[in-house]
Amino acid sequence: MNVSAGDQKYPHRLLLALVVVAFGAAFYKVAHRPGPASFQVRAYHASGAEAQRSGNTRPEFRTDFVSTQQNISTHAASLVELGDGRIRAFWFAGSREGAPDVVIRTAVFDPAKNTWSPERSIVNRIDTEHALLRYVKKIGNPVAQLAPDGKLWLYYVTVSLGGWAGSSITAVASTDDGTTWGKPRRLITSPFINISTLIKGTPFMYGDGTMGLPVYHEFIGKFGELLRIGGNGNIIAKQRLSYGKSTLQPVVLITGPEHALVLMRRSGNSPKRVISTMTDDAGQHWSASRPTSLANPDAAISGVVLPDGKMLVVLNNIEDGRAALSLVVSADGGATWKTVYQLEDQRGQPTDPLHFGEISAELARATDPGIADPSAYAKSAQRNKCVAQHCDYEFSYPYLIRTHSGDFDLVYTWNRSFIKHVRFNRAWLDQRLENYAELH
Amino acid sequence: MPNFTDLTGLAGVAVAAAAAVSLLPGTAKLARSRLAVLQAAVFLLMVVPFGGMPAAAYLRGMTGDLSITTLVLLSCAMLSPRKGCAADRQRQVLLSLVAPAALVFYPMALGAEAYDPYRLGYGTVQFVAVLLLLALAAWLRGYAMIVLCIALAALGWASGWYESGNLWDYLIDPFVAIYALAAIMNTFIRTLLKAGRGG
Repeated sequence: MNVSAGDQKYPHRLLLALVVVAFGAAFYKVAHRPGPASFQVRAYHASGAEAQRSGNTRPEFRTDFVSTQQNISTHAASLVELGDGRIRAFWFAGSREGAPDVVIRTAVFDPAKNTWSPERSIVNRIDTEHALLRYVKKIGNPVAQLAPDGKLWLYYVTVSLGGWAGSSITAVASTDDGTTWGKPRRLITSPFINISTLIKGTPFMYGDGTMGLPVYHEFIGKFGELLRIGGNGNIIAKQRLSYGKSTLQPVVLITGPEHALVLMRRSGNSPKRVISTMTDDAGQHWSASRPTSLANPDAAISGVVLPDGKMLVVLNNIEDGRAALSLVVSADGGATWKTVYQLEDQRGQPTDPLHFGEISAELARATDPGIADPSAYAKSAQRNKCVAQHCDYEFSYPYLIRTHSGDFDLVYTWNRSFIKHVRFNRAWLDQRLENYAELH
Repeated sequence: MPNFTDLTGLAGVAVAAAAAVSLLPGTAKLARSRLAVLQAAVFLLMVVPFGGMPAAAYLRGMTGDLSITTLVLLSCAMLSPRKGCAADRQRQVLLSLVAPAALVFYPMALGAEAYDPYRLGYGTVQFVAVLLLLALAAWLRGYAMIVLCIALAALGWASGWYESGNLWDYLIDPFVAIYALAAIMNTFIRTLLKAGRGG
């Protein structure tokens, strides 16, 4: 042993004992870490059974607004199906995106009554910073997942330093389907002062009860990652989906216990296409990312897998702007896509504030004929989407889920002012798919 | 009631603030006992809540939790502010381990490459084994400071000392990485200048 005279004051045996204890504990932890797991493939995959359960084989397609607050900036909605079949929506709203007054709001949809509950705020910046014992500058994107133990987990973005690139993820859980919430906790996901990790894509479950949370970075690089979270809320693994500076907001489409396709928002210039990667070993390895045939104007995507393996995706299938939102389907694992339905399309419409206001009022009335004052919706849209004499139509940030009844619920940002909800059933979708017989 | 991991995180940031006191002008003239009292006062000021949150919470929002390596170096600086508690050689070896590791680790972890070394920190046997070998090698060489950094990081990770479940966060942070790079560069330049003078 080469011990210098100056170092002999250190108790070497004690140090060795510390090494033994520390690494004994570390190896114990490694040994008890959950091993790789397969994806959980949803068990309700027979369309006939779905129709029987829902008792509804008539095509149905309906729209309404989830949020009701006027003259406020509203964005980034997500959905989760609760244990009793109701659907809870989350989104953020405030004077503007990133403002200190932004809060996470929620409302519950009752499919039996086709009504939304009144919305309410559940998370704000100040409560979050007090709970995390860290300064929090702003909050954003919420997504939720119901765990097998009935606990509802809500993940949302918090920023302490800089812009959205400085984001971290905060988690909060509810044991009563979102009526009350526990204490927020921070997820540590990045070695560089825990920036920058954001969320947008729908969480999913692994076969062993652990949760998959698609996340993305947008600091020096822009790339997708997958977090695996244990039942206690701790991160147990992380896998990179892409690297470089051009991919964001991964969406995981699970087609089998070992198979999944990930679609990612393309950030940057050419090719303005949705980027994909796939796995054949439940996410242990991912293929090199490559562009798909779907156009993408640097905007979010959402999707689900149908019982027969078809993929249903909602996106701005255009290269510029967010004025059009499409429902597209792939019957060949994502190789080719066809538009099933055009949810929104205001391309080519006049963009001056007057006409924008009139068109927005018409769109609001078409979304929900029960609206008392469509002009108020138009004014909110003008507030958020008009600068000087130019307005932009925006239908963005879709979030699509398929419920246990087999029905589909979609929410998206409507002109940065409201959250629009679209609900359709399998019969309606089948009717639309019949127009594309070549897909079958 | 704060979580245990919030208390440890805040304490780490408060230790850094207390250690920074010795860098203030005039503190070099203070007696060691007076400097210790001043540092203890700063530590307390950082952790006592004012208006709902302690000052350390604001700093923690920007810095995150500090690695064990940073805390060991800061503790050394506080315990022996004039000379440091470890021989220069030990500190130099520690920093020369941290600097290249950081140079490779951070770019890759921040997305420069397809491979993400940060994922190793969630508990791979190979990573823990390499650290054990490193700790044993340091122990054999008598580098107590390096042994302390690695072993306490492993123990902290295994026991859930911080919020992070990733062993890398216990080993290094960007602040010790920058410090190590600056120190190595400083040594390198000094050596060059010395050689130049010698020639």
